[in-house]
Amino acid sequence: MNWVEIKIKTSTEAIEAVANLFYEAGVMGVVIEDPRIYLRPQDEAQWDYMEVPEGIDFEEAVVTGYLVEDSSLAERVREIEEGVKRLPEFGLNMGRGEMAITIISDEDWANAWKKYYKPTRIGKTLVVKPSWEEYLPQAGEVVIDLDPGMAFGTGTHETTRLCMELLEKYMKRDFSVIDIGCGSGILSIAAGKLGASRVLAIDRDEVSVKVAGENVERNNLNAVVKVIKGEGLRNISFKADIIVANIIADVIIDLSGQVPLSLKEGGVFLASGIIRDRKLSVVEALERNGFDVIEESEKGEWVALASRQAPIGN
Amino acid sequence: MAKKVISMVKLQIPAGKATPAPPVGPALGPTGINIMNFCKEFNEKTAAQAGLIIPVELTVYQDRSFTFVLKTPPAAVLLKKAAGIEKGSGEPNKNKVAKVTKKDIREIAELKMADLNANDLEAAMRMIEGTARSMGITVE
Repeated sequence: MNWVEIKIKTSTEAIEAVANLFYEAGVMGVVIEDPRIYLRPQDEAQWDYMEVPEGIDFEEAVVTGYLVEDSSLAERVREIEEGVKRLPEFGLNMGRGEMAITIISDEDWANAWKKYYKPTRIGKTLVVKPSWEEYLPQAGEVVIDLDPGMAFGTGTHETTRLCMELLEKYMKRDFSVIDIGCGSGILSIAAGKLGASRVLAIDRDEVSVKVAGENVERNNLNAVVKVIKGEGLRNISFKADIIVANIIADVIIDLSGQVPLSLKEGGVFLASGIIRDRKLSVVEALERNGFDVIEESEKGEWVALASRQAPIGN
Repeated sequence: MAKKVISMVKLQIPAGKATPAPPVGPALGPTGINIMNFCKEFNEKTAAQAGLIIPVELTVYQDRSFTFVLKTPPAAVLLKKAAGIEKGSGEPNKNKVAKVTKKDIREIAELKMADLNANDLEAAMRMIEGTARSMGITVE
């Protein structure tokens, strides 16, 4: 799928009206470059200083929208163009009002950040190594070779780190594991490398299923980790010693009723991706479904919880 | 902790639905931040506002970490709400689809003042009023 980028040069005054032209043409979102952002009083408690881009023209703002290249493209571009020409009639300083159209391919943005992504040590023994980097492991280190592509889970985000640290702690040799919302497959692979006998990685997103499958293969764990497309634990008959879910608070809350059915007696549920404000709601949902929270850890705004089913009759 | 800011990016994207597809990917790719991390945090924080377009301002630091602040809905959204319409006019110069008052314009300008980077309230009102007219909304 190709996209068409439309950049409209305008003034700060007309930004909102130009953004609206995109919305009227069915575009779901725009990028706004307003140089006046750099003139705002700075919050010195937040940062040392800011680099104002060189040669910036404080009178010129740019609004950019992206349209899918399809049969209605020409029509929609014309609508936007006509709208831009009309704006001065409504008393708005349109600035230059120039419109630049560029066709861009689907892949460009998925990789731009990779150059900043290096091997990272997590927990006591785990090392996440981007597949394009060289790394010589030290004794006792467990290396996860990963290309996250467009899927979530690079080991650089707090929620993933929290989950991996808990997994490392609760994992025992020959455990079976279910990973709900596997993303890049990082947690499933970590479980496999930490000695799991069987791992089921589930994601509802096709891109994630594909990326996770490739990562499993890259780590030679085909015999241990199986990646499937699915919604939560629906239609899963297999029971695990550990279930991990690094998703978001609302999904964890929904899952906490299903998890007990797929967890072996004494098994542990590791839930991450929980924003601190929502921790209590997640704890309540877990307790309502018979779990005792046995450990919680925090990084930044994020919380991860380890919980176990309370013994029956307690 | 004091950090060095390398970039500030402003986007307007649908609440709870950020993906690396445009406009997010092309806008954030060059900043070097992990786009999926941004999408996940944005979606978590805006899940309750699904259906709305939410402006968001990202501050990217030198270590490729970032923070973001959510802003009030775009002026066009607030204007449609004030005017009680779903869509602006296709021919705003000929075909007027709704009316709002000067007071509505002032209220929206006040609400959005902090996000608009306008010099004063008058400038903000001029922006909102022009946006209204460009949508076929008459200001009385």
